[in-house]
Parts: sequence; structure tokens; C-alpha cells
Amino acid sequence: MAKKTKSTSDKPNRSTKDRKTLGSIRDLADTVVQSAGRGREPYVDIPSRSLSNVRFNQSKRIIEMGSGTNRRELFNLAQARSYMQTLLVASGCKQLIDQGKTTSIRGLFYLLKHTIEGTSEETFDTQNECDPVIEDIEVSLDSMREELHLYAKNAGAMVGPITLVDSGDTIDCSRMGSGGYSIPSIVEQDIVQFKKNTAKFILHVEKDTVWRRFNEDKFWRKHNCILTHGGGQPPRGVRRMLHRLHHELKLPVYCLLDNDPWGYYIYSVIKQGSINLAYESRRMAIPDARFLGLRSLDYGRCQLSPSVQIKLNEQDIKRARQIAQYTWFVNKKPWQKEIELMLKNGFKLEVEALISKDISYVTEQYVPARLKEGEFLD
Amino acid sequence: MEEHTNMPNVNETGEQPKRRAVTAESMAAKQRDISVSEFFAKNRHLLGFDNPRKALLTAVKEAVDNSLDACEEAGIVPETWVHIEAAGPNRYKIGVQDNGPGIVKKQIPLIFGKLLYGSKFHRLRMSRGQQGIGISAAGMYGMLTTGKPVKIVSMTSPKKPAHYFEIQIDTRRNMPEIINGKGDGEDIPAGEKGQKYITDHDIEWVSHYPISDQQPHHHHVVRSGTRVTIELEGRYQRGRGSVDEYLEQTAIANPQVTIHYVDPDSGETTYSRSTTQLPPEPVEIKPHPYGIELGQLVTMLKDTSAPSMAQFLTTSFSRVSSGVAQKICETAKIGTRGNPKKIGRQEADSLYKAIQETKISAPGTDCISPIGESLILKGLHHQLPGEFFCAATRPPAVYRGNPFLIEVGLAYGGTSSTQKVTLDALTDLLSESDARSLKQFLLTTFDGVGAIGADKILSQAKMGTRQSPSKLKKEEIDQLFAAMRNVNLSENQSMQVLRYANRVPLQFQPAACAITQSVIGTNWRAYGLAQSRGQLPVGPVTVMVHVASVWVPFTSESKEAIASYPEIMKELRLGLQAVGRKLAIYLNRRKRVRQEGERREIFLRYLGEVAHAVATIKDFGDRPRKDLYGRLVYVAKRKTAAAETQLKDDGKQRENAAEEFGENVLIVNPEETPGETASSEPTA
Repeated sequence: MAKKTKSTSDKPNRSTKDRKTLGSIRDLADTVVQSAGRGREPYVDIPSRSLSNVRFNQSKRIIEMGSGTNRRELFNLAQARSYMQTLLVASGCKQLIDQGKTTSIRGLFYLLKHTIEGTSEETFDTQNECDPVIEDIEVSLDSMREELHLYAKNAGAMVGPITLVDSGDTIDCSRMGSGGYSIPSIVEQDIVQFKKNTAKFILHVEKDTVWRRFNEDKFWRKHNCILTHGGGQPPRGVRRMLHRLHHELKLPVYCLLDNDPWGYYIYSVIKQGSINLAYESRRMAIPDARFLGLRSLDYGRCQLSPSVQIKLNEQDIKRARQIAQYTWFVNKKPWQKEIELMLKNGFKLEVEALISKDISYVTEQYVPARLKEGEFLD
Repeated sequence: MEEHTNMPNVNETGEQPKRRAVTAESMAAKQRDISVSEFFAKNRHLLGFDNPRKALLTAVKEAVDNSLDACEEAGIVPETWVHIEAAGPNRYKIGVQDNGPGIVKKQIPLIFGKLLYGSKFHRLRMSRGQQGIGISAAGMYGMLTTGKPVKIVSMTSPKKPAHYFEIQIDTRRNMPEIINGKGDGEDIPAGEKGQKYITDHDIEWVSHYPISDQQPHHHHVVRSGTRVTIELEGRYQRGRGSVDEYLEQTAIANPQVTIHYVDPDSGETTYSRSTTQLPPEPVEIKPHPYGIELGQLVTMLKDTSAPSMAQFLTTSFSRVSSGVAQKICETAKIGTRGNPKKIGRQEADSLYKAIQETKISAPGTDCISPIGESLILKGLHHQLPGEFFCAATRPPAVYRGNPFLIEVGLAYGGTSSTQKVTLDALTDLLSESDARSLKQFLLTTFDGVGAIGADKILSQAKMGTRQSPSKLKKEEIDQLFAAMRNVNLSENQSMQVLRYANRVPLQFQPAACAITQSVIGTNWRAYGLAQSRGQLPVGPVTVMVHVASVWVPFTSESKEAIASYPEIMKELRLGLQAVGRKLAIYLNRRKRVRQEGERREIFLRYLGEVAHAVATIKDFGDRPRKDLYGRLVYVAKRKTAAAETQLKDDGKQRENAAEEFGENVLIVNPEETPGETASSEPTA
């Protein structure tokens, strides 16, 4: 642990951001000291990250977090453990900031995981127990993950006619081979800067496999676009990257996702923000993003064989109905029709289904046709 | 001779005159009175002398019951001596002495040497013995099996000579035969001379006893009392249904009694009294008309000295006023002035019916003396380990014209009987046991050991269930002993039910008894105990049930089980429910205390981590960190204050207890040594 005697004077160059974050962490610790001093029971109010506490901002067209909070109490049997974990995470982040280092969320999990003295109980059993607590700390302290000196593993890749600087290294995204540029989890201005761009739009596909098809066929070169994927539900790094590309370089975003409730929700997250991370929407949501495909009507339109159908299961149907009821979907007639049609079909379609027509059908015919028609779901 | 197997009435054919020579006259020659004693001699099982083991117990029991009745009637705090001595193979000499009023010389031979002679049969008054068969039957059994006479010493005052008799019973005439002193008994002079006489003639008599264990040289002198010594064929065995069990249970229901017990191995046990308060003296009552049977009514009509029917009814029965008598006579269409002796059979019949039809108020209930809730608590607490005791005395009720009353006591917690036994006692028990297998031994010797419990013990001891108990090696006994200590039976130990009728423990035929039936019939699950259908509940619980009545309805003459009259069943149910409710409150509270304790433990577990995390954030040194930790602990303790109920001082706890449970509850802090705890039931 840090030698605290010199810690303050040692870091004259500690950023304003760090100072602000440290202040919030100290405030959190102060509530414990003060409550205990007065013989009260310490607690922390954590903004609620649930559907009931998000609001769809009609004018900004993004999901915003409401003011609802959940109280987490130390002297509550159900919450004592997570209260202890909350403070542990806070102390872990404090140590990271003190030492000027960053670590992955998995790293933090290992940093904080130990056996509680006098028991056989671990502070954290799995990383799954630690991750939500980190998000709790983020919302409670109103600090971004990077401000806590944390990052997630890289997920998602991009290629395209754009050059950027990442941590001082210049990267030409048109020369990234078959793997592409791996999008880091933190892509803020101080780490990634855009240099030169000739792309006209962004095509975001759901999965790595589909992305590989487009990259191999050099779709981005032919159509002059940036090609990204988020490995399923895009992580924050990818979403932040899309957001910056869209807003700073004014590039429209088109999404090619599976025709299933999961795909719909990925689109919804990119467009309006997620329920879980509603507090991040304002720097991540892209309200102007468009849904290119797959559409429910593609089964007939592309004359796909019946063998590519995947039957909707009960959970899919339930989820589809739920999505249809989200405020940001409920007033959109085309979307209601889209979801209705899928339910009527009784099956879902993956983008890979188009391969049954021809290996490059998706890159050579399907997407170009949609782009040409200019027909997207909003 | 021909065989007439197909003809049932062989003698009608007159073909077998030689074999069927019995005539009415010859039969009449053989027909004669059967003396009660003779009848008993052939039917000893009816009075509880069915086997040697039970015979020993029954004899002790009858003697002790008589002693206690005598002391109580005379208003003397009972001091009782029970000495059992081995007198040869399968032969024991039992001596039971009390400090009661003694018996006048003339009565001694009759009381101990004549069956069905007694003061208790003819009156309706609550007492232990009822028929007057008991002690003389024990004496007769002894005489029949060993040929030895019954020896009686009785002293009515320290200044008067005591009497010494050796008696045999003439079974044919049902009359006592005095053997010593030329058929007249011996007189033991009072004072010092008497002491010498006793020693010289080898008479057994306890003349003085220590005041307390602390002062062995200060003595009480026995001023009066009776001692009966009987030698009989028997078998001494500890465990269930034993003399030891009987004495222990007697001590529970009779907290005013001190029993000095010497067992055949010369082991001395003293069950000391926990109170000197005698139970209120029961009042003798006249029978209630509803409780009378037709035959009895006819006898009463014949024997009465009343000149008129009206007077007969008002003087022979309780609760019959002249108005009621008139009504009865009207209904029966009998004149109120008629001579009761001249009532015919048919008139008696209609009189009997008229009584049933007439509304007569319930009998007075002051004739019953309950043990009382506070004494039940004392008795239970004094003799049984446990952490929670409660008691309920029901108001008196009536069955078939007989007043009765139900009392229920309950003890919860404490160690089970398998854990109480010492290694030496276990070795003795094993060698005495006639059980064929170890499992059977465990089941029959210890209370509350179910089949599951026995299996658990044996599997821990790594012994076969079928091993013979008497052939165990020393190491095996050690192993078994350790297993009995370690296995916690309380989870699957079934409830122990102590049954009493007029303060006398009932040790046999539990299944036939109304008490056991209503304990099983009570839904104990509602009170926090596990119970399967048709079974006794499970848990470290002892329930004592006392049925007190001027006439306890037993299912048989051996007085082992109480008959299930609906009125009695109802009162039993209500009594059991009363203690059940209190137990439920206690168990709930205990659960709450335990839960709070668990909660506190969880909080405390995380406080160190929280304090550490805060210290890291705030760059605290050791001192402020410890200070913060201390403050958090303080908050945690306050938050889970209920966990401390147990830790609070006695006084405060009792206040709470009274508030929560109502009266007649005793809670013992399990950490204190039992017995040292002041009996602390809230005063009623």
C-alpha cells in the first residue's frame, strides 16, 4: 500500500479529474465516520439502475437516469455484505488514483478479494459480484469508469479509411489486416484523437463473424465507410467510439443486426442508451443511428430457405413484447409493425442466414441494396 | 368305546355315565366362598405383580403411596426412607419408613394383613391409594414367594412404646396372623431403652437423620412413623419402569417430600424437598347423584338410616337440596316420606332414572387439592434439567358426578437421559439388562431414545445393533459411553410424558392411558415442536400431567392407565394447550434471540472490513481506525439488542418473562448450573 506520508506532495501533477474523484470517494468515507460518530447506522444511497428509474427524454431522444435511489445499509442483513463491498471498491479506486495506475475491473477484483479476518468468507466470491458494485460506485460518485482508473477488456474492432492517435501511436485503420483495430475500453479525447478521415458513414455490425465477412470483401473500401462491431451487446468503449465518430466527424451510423429481440435491443442501446448505464447515455447514445437490417420481411424479400428459420422461444416472445412496450419504441409505428411481423412469423433470422443465398450476398447485394434504397428503421 | 365326534350332546344320549358323574349335589359340595386373598394369589397380575421386576416396584410403590397419604393427612412434612437390599438370588428385602403419625396397635395387623381393609375405599376424598388392596397385597405377594412375614414397626409418639409386628396372611380367611410376641406383637419401649431393644432384636428402624449434608452431626430425631419391611421375589433393574424412576417422578409431583433411597448396590440417593408447604388438605365429600350406579343406589337405600326418601337423598348425596329431592321423587313417582329401606327393585330403577333426568348442580370441587402451578414448577426444576418450565392448573371439572382436575407442567431443554448417565451406572445398567440387543437396551433403558437415536449412538460407537449388552468388553463400554455423550438426541428425541394420578406416577401402559392419548392428539407443531401424525412430538421436552380426583377412573385394578372419559379428555386438551402456548412463546423468543445473535455476528464480520476501507480512503492511522471500528461495533450491538436478552441480569429478564408469558413460567439461564438457580417463578 502507498506510503501516505508523501502521497499528496508526491503527485503535484494529479489531474483536476483525479482530485474531483478522490473528493467524492472521501465524501463517501466521511458518511461512515459521521454516522458512526453519532451512533447512527451508515448507509449509501445508490442511484437505481433499473427500468423504473429511467426516463426517455423526448427532446434529446436518449434514456436518462431518474432521481430514484436505492439505500444500501450496513446494518441490514441483506445488504451488509454489499455495503462492505461498496466501500472496498471505493478504497481500491482510491489506491489506484493515489498510485496513478489503472487496472482492469478483473484486476480490481483480485486487488480487493481476500478472506475476511476470522472467517472463511471471501470479500468477493466471483467477479460477477464485483462488477455491479463498480457500476454502483460509478453512479454514486458520478464518476466515469476511467475516472476511477478502471477499464474493461477490449471488445469490438474497427477498420476504415481513418487515421487516429491512440496513446501517442498513430494508427491507420485502413491497414489493419484481417483483425482490425481493437477498440479499447477507454477512448476519451486524452487517449484517442482522430487525425484524418475520408469515410462517409459507419456500418456497425453485431458480431465479429459478420464483420470478418465485410472486411474480407473490403466492403469499407468499396463503400468508403468505417466498419465496426461490438461483439454482441457493444461495450462502453465501442459505444463511446461510435458516439465520438458520429458527433465529431458527423458520420451517420447504420446498424446491421440480427432480426431478433436481442438485435432490437442492441440497436436500442446504441441509439438511446442502456437502462443499466442510463447515466452514460449523454456521452454514448446516438439518437440518429439507423437500423438497416435484418428485417422481418427479409425472409420473403430475399427468398430465404425455410431451413434458416430459428423458432422463437417463449423467452424471445416475452422479450419482444417487453421491448415493444419501451417508451422509446411504443410510439414508433414501423417498429411496432416490425416486432409484430417477427412475432407473426414465429421465427428469428440471423445475419448469417443470408449466407445461404451466397457467401457474399450480404456484402454485395443485401447491404448495398438497403443503402441504395435508403430505407431504414428509425 | 365308540367315538361320537359328530354328536355334540354326548351326555344326553346317556352313553358315558362314568365320565359325567357330576351331579348338582356333588358340584355344590365343591362350591364355596372364594376369599379375596385367594383370588388375588391366583390373579396377582391384576394388582401389578405380574413379573418379578414389576412386583418389586409395585411393593415399593404401595408402601410409599401409603406413607405419603398418611403424612399428608396428619399434616406432617413427609420424610421417607426407601431401602432395597438384595436377600439372595432374585430376592429382595424392601423397607419403607415414613415420619407419619403412626398406626394404633389394634389396626396394624388389619391394615397390613387383610386385603380390602382400609380407610380410603368408602369415602370420596382425594388420596393416592383407593382400594385398600395395595400394601397388604404386597405383603401377601412377599409371603407367597419367599415365605417371609411382613414386618411392621409403628410409633405414634416418642413417649409411647412403638409396636413391632410380624404378620402373615391367612389367605383362606383373608385374616392376619401375627407371628411374633405369641400372636400379640411386641412393644418397643420409648426412649433410650427402645434404642437398645431395636439393636438387640435386629429390628430395622431409622431413628434419626442428618439435618443437612453440611452438618452431618446434627440430627433430627424421628418422633413417629411407620416402617414396613417385606421380603419378596423380585428383580431389580434400573431404567424405564424402575423403582428409581418411580421415586424420581414421585419427587417431581410431590415437591414437599424428601426421599432417602438406598438401592441394592448400597448407592444412596436423596431426593430432597423443594418446599415445606403441604398441599391443602382435601375435603371429604358425599357422592354426587350423577356418579352413582344403580347397584350402588340399591345398597345405599338398604344401608341408610334416614327415615324418609327426602332425607335419604339430601343426606347421602352432595348437591341435593330438599327441593331437588322432591323433584326427584316426583319424577320417580315415589313419595318423599316413604321409607327408603322399603324401596323395591323397580322403584329403585325409576329413582335412578329420575336422578339422571333431574338437573342437579355440579359437585363441589374443594375436595380436590391440586399440586399448584408454583409447586409444579419447583418440582420440575428441582428434579429435571432444563431451561424453560411452565405449568397450568385447570379449574376443577366433573365426570360422571366425580370432580376432577387436570394439571400440566412442561420442562424444555436440558440434557437427555443418555447424557446424564455415568460410566459406572452404564456398566451396571448393561450387566443388569435382559435386553437381547444393544439397540433394545438403549430403547428400553433410556427415556426419549427413539429408534433413530439408538441407531445414531450405535453407529457412532461403531457397534452392531444386535450385539448383546451383557457381553461388552471394557473398551466397548467406553466407546458406547463416549457415543452416548456425543450424540445429540434432542433433535429426534421424543417427548417424555410423566403421568400422575393423585400424585402417584403411572409408569406402565402409556398407550392405553388418556393422558398419552391426548398428548399425542395435541397439535404440537403449532407450538414449535416437530411431530408426526399419531406420534409423540419430538424435542428435549418433558410434560407432566396430573389427574387429581376423588375417584380416578383407571382402566384396570393395577392402576396403570387412566380411562378416557370425554370430560377428562377435554380438560387434558385444554391443559396441554395452555402449556403449549407458553412453550411456543418461549421457543419463538429463543429463535428470535438466536436470529439476532446471528445477525449481530454477520454485522460484526463486516465491520472490520468497512473500518479498514474507510481508513484506507481517509489515510487513517491505527488509532482512528480502531476508534471507528469501536463505534461501529457499538451501533451493531445496539441494533441487535434482542440478542442480549439472555445476557441481562436475572431480575430484568424475569420482568420481561412475566410480561410476555403470563404467570407460572420459569426460565433458567442455561449457563448457570442447574439447581443453584434460585427458583424464580413469578409469584402467582
